[in-house]
Amino acid sequence: MVVGALFSGALVGAIRTSLTPDPFAGDLQWTAWQTLFGDPSFGAAVVFTIGVTVAATLVSALLAIPVAAALRDTAWARTFATLPVLVPHLLVAVVAVLWIGPGGLADRLIGGMPIEVVRARSGLGIVIVYVAKEVPFLALLLLAHWGDVLRDREEAAAVHGAGALARFRHMVVPGLRSPLAIGSLLVAAFVAGSFEVPMLVGPTHPDTIATYALRATRVADLQGQAIAAAALLVASGLVVAITVPAAWLVGRRRG
Amino acid sequence: MVEGRRHVVTDRLRRERWPALLVAAAGTVPLAVLPLRAAADVWRAPALLPQQFGTRGLETVLAPGTRVGDAVVTSLVVGIVATAVALVIGWPAARSVARTTPARRTVLLVGLGLPLLVPPYATGTGLTRWLLELGLTDSVPGLVAAHLVYVVPYVVLTLTFAFTAELAGLEEAAEVAGADRLRAAWLVTLPTTAPAIGTAALLGFVVSWSQYGTSLAVGGGRLTLPVVLLPFVERDPQVAAALSLVFLAPPVVGLVALRRTMARR
Repeated sequence: MVVGALFSGALVGAIRTSLTPDPFAGDLQWTAWQTLFGDPSFGAAVVFTIGVTVAATLVSALLAIPVAAALRDTAWARTFATLPVLVPHLLVAVVAVLWIGPGGLADRLIGGMPIEVVRARSGLGIVIVYVAKEVPFLALLLLAHWGDVLRDREEAAAVHGAGALARFRHMVVPGLRSPLAIGSLLVAAFVAGSFEVPMLVGPTHPDTIATYALRATRVADLQGQAIAAAALLVASGLVVAITVPAAWLVGRRRG
Repeated sequence: MVEGRRHVVTDRLRRERWPALLVAAAGTVPLAVLPLRAAADVWRAPALLPQQFGTRGLETVLAPGTRVGDAVVTSLVVGIVATAVALVIGWPAARSVARTTPARRTVLLVGLGLPLLVPPYATGTGLTRWLLELGLTDSVPGLVAAHLVYVVPYVVLTLTFAFTAELAGLEEAAEVAGADRLRAAWLVTLPTTAPAIGTAALLGFVVSWSQYGTSLAVGGGRLTLPVVLLPFVERDPQVAAALSLVFLAPPVVGLVALRRTMARR
């Protein structure tokens, strides 16, 4: 109830802010929404956000299975490898800047990075930071489901001559599909909405929707807050519209 | 013969540990740059190691009366209060989520998870208008209220797994043996769910401690550690690295303490 009240209060507050660019005038206006949808930078931000979200989620999901496989028999390695789960996103971005930013450790080690990563227009820096942070999270989620039952089935298949690829395709993938799908949805929702990582390692243009909203609040214009609230409502709508039906589909497939 | 082959397969699967070593290194080695950068008073490119080590970064962070020190205290207070409130709210909520019908449980869990899908800055921006009207912006209670939107779902989800059917049976047995509900909770429920409470507390604190978007929107003049840290990354990487170590300390200390407590049980 507390979460419901605070969360719905926040949503109503955001809608109210987006419709009252001048809080002192009090009357409802659509100007912030009109400005938002008339701004080509916002369109670019939506496309960029979707691109970065899809890339970071797909790469994280693809890497999570081999990483979980590497960790499943070694508790000590699991503790170390999953340390990034506890490390805040902002801190992973700081570490990325110190390693792969201009003048960073990687730059010094190899005498100049072959490609630009931090602040790259392609969003490569953002994707790398999210992959570093989310692969351990997804791997941990998979390990929770990679229990003895699945292991016994794998062993039985190996005893009967199934190769590693066949075991992976017919035993591991079906067993881990649901947790991987649900974890990936959570990752996608987070990547689409958070903005400390794009602010630190992303390009100045295009923005993500979240950094676009933040920039809107920093202009000396009463309408800034309203535009930011409208942009963030679009981001929230996008995330909910994608993840809720996807989660429902995953639930249905699980039976 | 099949049993013998099974052992050979299992042994081979378990012997191949180098991938685990590689993955563990990938998770930890990058963090080593933080103490190195924090202790580098002079580190000009392209040198691989600092030209001069020193404590300038830590001194800046720990200097009394600075915005940085105040931000650390605010983050700690908000994190502790938000976690405590979330545990008090989350305990009965998790209990009823765990013991309701599967259909109702799904609805409740989806409802609880919904805030996690929405950008934190959106929640913060939306709450700001109400908090302004209540005179709670730039205040610890305002920050706690905003953080609760994210802390409570994690705490409830973690605690829900502790309220198993086995625990329900133990509670019932205690009540049959004459213990009232309060005594049964003290003697049976609390000790059994203690590991989950510890995990939920750590997770809740880390979620609050890491909040950036909500704190930026609601905090205003009352800064938290993540909000103070970000501008330093480009302005002064040494201070940013020192601040990052402060940022990293509570989750790591909490994790070690939790593991030790669980190992002792």
